[in-house]
Amino acid sequence: MTAPTLKIENLKLGFKNWAGVSNVLHGISLHIKKGERVALVGESGSGKSVTARIVLGMLQQLKTARISGSVEFEGINLETLKPASRHALRGTRMSMIFQDPTSSLNPVYTIFALFKEVLARAEPGITSERARQRAIEALADVAINEPERVLDSYSFQLSGGMNQRVMIAMALANNPALLLADEPGTALDVTVQAQTLKLMSELVEKHQTSVLFISHNLGVVREFADRVYVIYKGNIVEQGATAELFANPQHPYTRALLSAVPRITGGGIPDLDDDPGQFLAPLVAHPSYSEKERLA
Amino acid sequence: MSPLLSVSNVSKTFEVNGRTVTALDNISFDVAKGECLAIVGESGSGKSTIANIILGIYGATAGSLTFDGAALPAKRTKDHRRAIQLVQQNPLSSLNPRRSIGASLRLALDVHHIGDIKGRTARTGELLEEVGLPVDFRTRSPSALSGGQRQRVAIARALACQSELVVLDEPTSALDVLVQARVLKLLKDLKQARGLTYIFITHDLSVVRNIADRVAVFEKGKLIEIGETETIFANPNHVYTRRLIGAVPVVSQEEALLRDRIMEQENGNA
Repeated sequence: MTAPTLKIENLKLGFKNWAGVSNVLHGISLHIKKGERVALVGESGSGKSVTARIVLGMLQQLKTARISGSVEFEGINLETLKPASRHALRGTRMSMIFQDPTSSLNPVYTIFALFKEVLARAEPGITSERARQRAIEALADVAINEPERVLDSYSFQLSGGMNQRVMIAMALANNPALLLADEPGTALDVTVQAQTLKLMSELVEKHQTSVLFISHNLGVVREFADRVYVIYKGNIVEQGATAELFANPQHPYTRALLSAVPRITGGGIPDLDDDPGQFLAPLVAHPSYSEKERLA
Repeated sequence: MSPLLSVSNVSKTFEVNGRTVTALDNISFDVAKGECLAIVGESGSGKSTIANIILGIYGATAGSLTFDGAALPAKRTKDHRRAIQLVQQNPLSSLNPRRSIGASLRLALDVHHIGDIKGRTARTGELLEEVGLPVDFRTRSPSALSGGQRQRVAIARALACQSELVVLDEPTSALDVLVQARVLKLLKDLKQARGLTYIFITHDLSVVRNIADRVAVFEKGKLIEIGETETIFANPNHVYTRRLIGAVPVVSQEEALLRDRIMEQENGNA
């Protein structure tokens, strides 16, 4: 069996500060197979974004970060790579989409200039004509009708939804093996969010891209992901196939989360009789999806 | 019974780079005393413009408002400013970071001369208890509180001066889902206990379904649909309302069924 696209084992993270080390991740393990869409869902401060940053190798350079455990990308332990080869992976084999598209696109360059920079990561010395050609194709993929106009615009001239589609097109332009999506729809209106997610989901299916989808929105996760990991205070508390986990949540924390979501079918504001003491109960793995079994 | 607030034929235009942009186009609706009216719509729909007009931050270009049976002029009296209060989306930017929680609450009491001077400090403690926070939070600064706690302080401040109408502008959209559920519960309880009237501005339809008595749907400055929450969700009349409900990410099978049914109507009509 081929190596999974991403395999994280017993990952721990702490930040050193004046009072000692504050631990953020307490040994999390997860994996994403080729073409699989996996969601990491949790509240703010649960450690979901830092996980993505470690995978990208953005936290390793931080002097105060204390990291242990292993992160394997397509069978290669990222820890063993030299900084230069790690750098070469970013933007080519793995790419990331952030929450707020308008602030992640540099406003002083045109979309085309940014696009060319992305394409040149995989193909150094790419000519402007060829870059333009490929950018137009990529924008057509994300259902942008006037790619020429968009390429000559600046990010502030485009709407939020348009910018997010540009981001998706850029992230997928070099055909990465892994896409890290950190709350990609949160800053958008609900109808735009729904369109964006649908588009993203079609594209990753077409390109067989693996996705680590980070979100706090359970509804969005249910629409998008094949499999879900629920994270609470740096521990993975429940994992399983999306349908199974949502239909039959087992862990006290997942249950509390799901019961707290207001329903469009009504039923009022739920009474939370949760006991946060129980939220640190051990991991619940839905039977068909235990880590070991899937990796054997 | 006459409505607490009534908005009639309100329009608002802005001059942008020499062009005239219509933000609100002939809006009329009433808000009864003790009800929660949700205003929903996407960005640019005019929902914040109508809130600003109700709050008196700017006047309407055309149309009029009445509050409690009397005309509500663009230039508000002190009593109007006391009676109509606002809770904003991000409490970290709406609470003064340099002022303790107690001082922020105290200021509301001082400005509106609520109670006698000696009793005001004690009153801030009661307000904190009313929103479920310990009294000793008075001495803390907003940065020492969590998002949910800060939003509770913002709510306490809006209630400090015995307000009658509270405009809630996305009060829970910056909060985590567990915290959101608790803050919504608090809002619901306070409304009951104090007989408050809410105008709840949000884009989150699943929250609306569970807290609002009536819903007003805005699209591009127009009020396209208004009615009882139950009716709107069971039978949305307008295409845009159906599209909004159809785009809500849901967590359970029954919700998905409801959404599919509404989308079917949509496709059937198209």
